[in-house]
Amino acid sequence: MSSLRRRLLVALLGALVLVGVVASAATYLSARAEINALLDDELRQVALSLRDHAVLDLSRLTGGAGDVGQRVVVQIWDPRGSILYLSNSTTPLPLSRASGLATISYEGREWRMFTDTLGPQTIQVAQATALRRALATDVALRILVPILAALPLFGVLIWLVVGRGLAPLARLARSIAARSATALEPLPDEGTPAEVAPLVGSLNGLLARLDQAFGMQRRFAADAAHELRTPLTALGLQLQLLERARGSADQALAIARLKEGVKRATRLVEQLLVMARLEPEAAERSSGPIELGALAHSVTAEFAPLAEAQTVALTVAAGPPVTALGSEDALRIVLSNLLDNAIRYTPAGGRIVVRAAREGAAPVLEVADSGPGIPLVEQTRVFDRFYRVPGTEFPGSGLGLAIVKQVADMHHARIELGPGLDGAGLAVRVRFALA
Amino acid sequence: MRLLLVEDDPMVGEAVREGLRQESYAVDWVRDGKAAEIALAAEAYDLVVLDLGLPRRDGIEVLKRIRAARNDVPVLVATARDALGDRIKGLDSGADDYLLKPFDLDELAARVRALLRRAAGRAHPVIRCGPVTLDPATREVTVHARAVSLSGKEFALLAALAERPGVVFSRAQLEERLYGWGEEVASNAVEVHLHNLRRKLGLDLIRNVRGVGYTIEGGA
Repeated sequence: MSSLRRRLLVALLGALVLVGVVASAATYLSARAEINALLDDELRQVALSLRDHAVLDLSRLTGGAGDVGQRVVVQIWDPRGSILYLSNSTTPLPLSRASGLATISYEGREWRMFTDTLGPQTIQVAQATALRRALATDVALRILVPILAALPLFGVLIWLVVGRGLAPLARLARSIAARSATALEPLPDEGTPAEVAPLVGSLNGLLARLDQAFGMQRRFAADAAHELRTPLTALGLQLQLLERARGSADQALAIARLKEGVKRATRLVEQLLVMARLEPEAAERSSGPIELGALAHSVTAEFAPLAEAQTVALTVAAGPPVTALGSEDALRIVLSNLLDNAIRYTPAGGRIVVRAAREGAAPVLEVADSGPGIPLVEQTRVFDRFYRVPGTEFPGSGLGLAIVKQVADMHHARIELGPGLDGAGLAVRVRFALA
Repeated sequence: MRLLLVEDDPMVGEAVREGLRQESYAVDWVRDGKAAEIALAAEAYDLVVLDLGLPRRDGIEVLKRIRAARNDVPVLVATARDALGDRIKGLDSGADDYLLKPFDLDELAARVRALLRRAAGRAHPVIRCGPVTLDPATREVTVHARAVSLSGKEFALLAALAERPGVVFSRAQLEERLYGWGEEVASNAVEVHLHNLRRKLGLDLIRNVRGVGYTIEGGA
């Protein structure tokens, strides 16, 4: 795992070393220039003083005992080119005719030499350049060494300061870690540094959405349990009536009722499952262009036997192909629920028409019937979970239209209720958003 | 005994009506709060079995209106609302008992019997009237300590009379106590059941007050 603290430590120490190196390099260069100027001047002074006062205690200047690199080498030539004086016992530096400063290479060393040819003799004063480098290096190291020496101290300080700077994050982590799965209240954001505030903000946003989702789940579970109680009550009572039944006719009646009760409880559980599985993201995940006409034909075919048993005419109004974006499974559930309702409530001899069309530019899926319709005052409530229109004869879960609504919401589609066929009944229209 | 059942669920309502009819009660079943109020205004009921989650008018509201109208009919609330607050609210709104769904038919019947008994001012579960004893729970009837076997309607008729000894009931009043809405009644049904009762219990027990109706003598 990468640690911010470690990364910052390495980066900051690296930067510090880099700064030290650059600073000492710059110092080295400027020191060398200054030393060059200074020592060049010194060479010239020595040469000039040698010309003015031919007699000089040269041994003091050339300091016989020291390292050859430190010493100033003095050579004096007569006009004919013979050595008059040589401070070094070894072979002389080559005679230069040009007057002034020059850098020469001699015996593997680099020398800085001042030649004076203005007097009767040629005077050469030279010094190894190694001395100058050593002096400049010394100055540069005086900058670099303290920085390097202080690195461990800097390291400790950076470690502590960064740790302190990251403390709000650690606090945040602790406060989140200490939470139970159900504690979804927002994290406190007072005293949060500006850099951590967006994190806290987006965490709080997530917590709020989670809280809402949990709340919905809880309500759904409570509603579902509550709603299951009624069919279970019916089942219990029907079973008791069966136990009490004397005679085969009574028994047959009681068994028939019990079967109805089981069928109803089963349907409620199935609808609950459908509803629970309808996740809001499902529409987007399995979204694709769906040919609504083909879907209408396919679902209608499934319901044909049921419609026939009820002697209700079930047809699909043909039209040009209409496509809408959505989840086929979810839209199939919508159509199934609408058809189930229509067949359930349309009396024998009535008719149901399924239609997929384009109204304006919007794809529309419609199921119209010639049943009793839904009173206007009930129309807003029929989409509520578990709501049933008062006086409804047919057992139902009260979930069918709630599921339709949920799927429509998932698809950003609108549901419209309107008058159905033959001047009566109900038309439920799912109007999709423009693609 | 005539009961009003207020229950919006068709299956539960049908099963409860059937179960209570098997206990020889006349049961009228309505499915919403407004229908319940109309029924209560039109008929005299011995007891109301009331669901709370009703369409058109909530059960609690129905209950409050019953009590506001100074109607003392025993009310048994039978509901899926199981929260403590709901139960307290139900009882405080005038319910005499509170039964949670899912419930058992036998328990419902026992609670109905207990409420009817209390409403009649009795604590003892067995009704005694002269030489006759009848136990609403077991529906055993004895005359002079001799067990008598009665049909459901006969038992209901005897119970109606024995519950209020000395009170004269008209034929129509007795019919009301025997038959709920929608039950087929032959025009002379009450007379037929009375005839059978007299044959089984002894001729002198139930007295015909000419032109008024029938009564049972209390005695000791």
